[in-house]
Amino acid sequence: MTLQRTELAPLSEYAIETHGLTKKFGNFTAVDHIDLAVQKGEIYGFLGPNGAGKSTTIRMLCTILKPSSGTAKVAGFNIDTQANEVRKRIGLVSEKLIMYTRLTAEQNLMFFGKLYGIDNAELKLKVAELLDMMKLTPFKDRSVGGFSSGMRQRMNLIRALIHDPEIIFLDEPTTALDPQSTKFVRDIVLDLKKGGHTIILTTHIMEEADELSDKISIIDHGKIMATGTVAGLKDEYGTQSMLEVFLTVTGRELRDSASDRVSMKAVGRM
Amino acid sequence: MSGWKVTREIAKRDLLDLWRAKMLLVFFILMPLLFMTMFGFIYPPTVQVNPYSGQIPSQYPNLNLAIIQQDNGQIARNVEAQFIQIAESQGIFSVSEVTDYSTARNGIVKGQLLGIVVIPQGFSAAIQADTQATIQVTVDQTNPSVAAAVQSEVAEIFGAIEGQMSTQYLQNLDPGINPTFALQPMAITSIPLIAGVPTSFEYLAPSFMALTVITGALNGVSTAISREKEQGTMDGLLVAPIPRQSVILGKVAAQTVRGLIQGFLILGLSMLLFGVVIYGSPITMLLVMVLGVASFIGVGIIMTSLAPEQETAQMMTTLLQFPMMFLSGILFPIAQLPVAVQYIGKAFPLYYAADALRKVVILNASVSIIMPDLLVLLAYSVVTMAIAVPIFNRAMAR
Repeated sequence: MTLQRTELAPLSEYAIETHGLTKKFGNFTAVDHIDLAVQKGEIYGFLGPNGAGKSTTIRMLCTILKPSSGTAKVAGFNIDTQANEVRKRIGLVSEKLIMYTRLTAEQNLMFFGKLYGIDNAELKLKVAELLDMMKLTPFKDRSVGGFSSGMRQRMNLIRALIHDPEIIFLDEPTTALDPQSTKFVRDIVLDLKKGGHTIILTTHIMEEADELSDKISIIDHGKIMATGTVAGLKDEYGTQSMLEVFLTVTGRELRDSASDRVSMKAVGRM
Repeated sequence: MSGWKVTREIAKRDLLDLWRAKMLLVFFILMPLLFMTMFGFIYPPTVQVNPYSGQIPSQYPNLNLAIIQQDNGQIARNVEAQFIQIAESQGIFSVSEVTDYSTARNGIVKGQLLGIVVIPQGFSAAIQADTQATIQVTVDQTNPSVAAAVQSEVAEIFGAIEGQMSTQYLQNLDPGINPTFALQPMAITSIPLIAGVPTSFEYLAPSFMALTVITGALNGVSTAISREKEQGTMDGLLVAPIPRQSVILGKVAAQTVRGLIQGFLILGLSMLLFGVVIYGSPITMLLVMVLGVASFIGVGIIMTSLAPEQETAQMMTTLLQFPMMFLSGILFPIAQLPVAVQYIGKAFPLYYAADALRKVVILNASVSIIMPDLLVLLAYSVVTMAIAVPIFNRAMAR
């Protein structure tokens, strides 16, 4: 596998820094003055119940949403004023398939690759290399619409890696995957870290967060409730289980659907 | 990557998407054909004959008509015989002789007859006394367009018989008289604007070209963003280092190309299947269609910026499309509409696009002749884009 990054941005000691980052949708505050500091090369677990503000935060950091207030730097660039510089240096994998289902795997990847201004010949090589790495070469001429969940998520990973980004946002990347695909994706995540990439991982699977993350922040009601290393958080809450840490921080009661709905509407917007 | 390159890539991708959807591609070609065939045949054919040939124009041949002879005088019987002879020899009416009016009326109610002609008692006596005689006509009022045709064709046949009677009368008065001059001192002849007998297709082909190109682009653009959002692919575009306007411009370019292909497809089918003759320049047609699309792009962008999902965007475009289709002179000339409604029709840029295209396609109008239409389309494009761009930018930056 060739996941070694060819260059690292020298502009900041942190891959991501936020100060008072806030997002409001009307009267609803989805993200409420959060401060994050993600070091380069680490896997940062970003956990929280549904509607807590995880996806909204990720979407702001990916420059899809504009913050209502506060500042954030990603790869050393301001997400508001230097959005295109940020975009060149990030990759996003979400649980949704970000692919055109009628097009073939290769057509999709060539299209997204060109959006990053990659030269045609170089792009062809890169697509071939990544398809091979994700074990999708035999399917390169098939419509993505017919792919299984695991294949779709591997396609998402290729799209996110095609321009060799410094920082990769993985928003629930293993949701609805079978154990084999889950293991494959997790191995890729660890390889990416070895290659010097910074990874922001959101997941509802606590075992996954425990296994992969160097550091974790737990967000709820738009606020950061706890931050620390996996071991540090377990020590602090006196348990050996990340799930126990999570439930202690965010509570055990079921979340009402109304707040979920507001949040889903919010994150669905551009 | 420059904005134009991104626009081109997005347009190419959208067209590739259409190309790979084989079923959609079939409907893409079938739709214009279906529209043209459907609407081309719902209108009665326009029949043109030389008014001095004795031939009577007939939109609907061999309509069932009853004739009731109540007079039975020699003159009345001659008139009846002449009426039946002209009507049947020219294939205008299939005439049945009925004895009483109520039987004939029942024939109309049952749908067996479309009109009744009554030669009333006293007809022969009136003519013999040199006074005007009366013919009574009843038509099936449930179908106004057929009723009007029956009424006018009956009048035409009796007009021909009257002509013969008047000629005879004048010659009896003075054998040296020129009855043709006495009856019709002026002759009317027509100089055709274009060759051949005009059909509804000549009106409909340019209309449908304009409608298809414009509504295709409007539909495509208005659902473009919501479709990408629903598919999830919007995030892929938004995290890429590309100008956000390029996304919508790429969509507009793809939809315009699609619309133009469909527009010229309609033209080709009209020529091939319906005998429409094209006189205008394809370059001028292209100019009109591109400006027509441009006049709606702003509206499409506003819709796509406001619509949260595809279904809403589709509803919004349908709401605009339907009144536009019926009021902008696409299916029939807007002169048929009440004056107040004509103003509404003229408020849609489609009216100007269809008007200009009709003049170019059928009458070979030059750019300078259709300039007023083009200027209106340009004004619509500029004004709607000026409104749409800030709305789009705000929607993308939310």
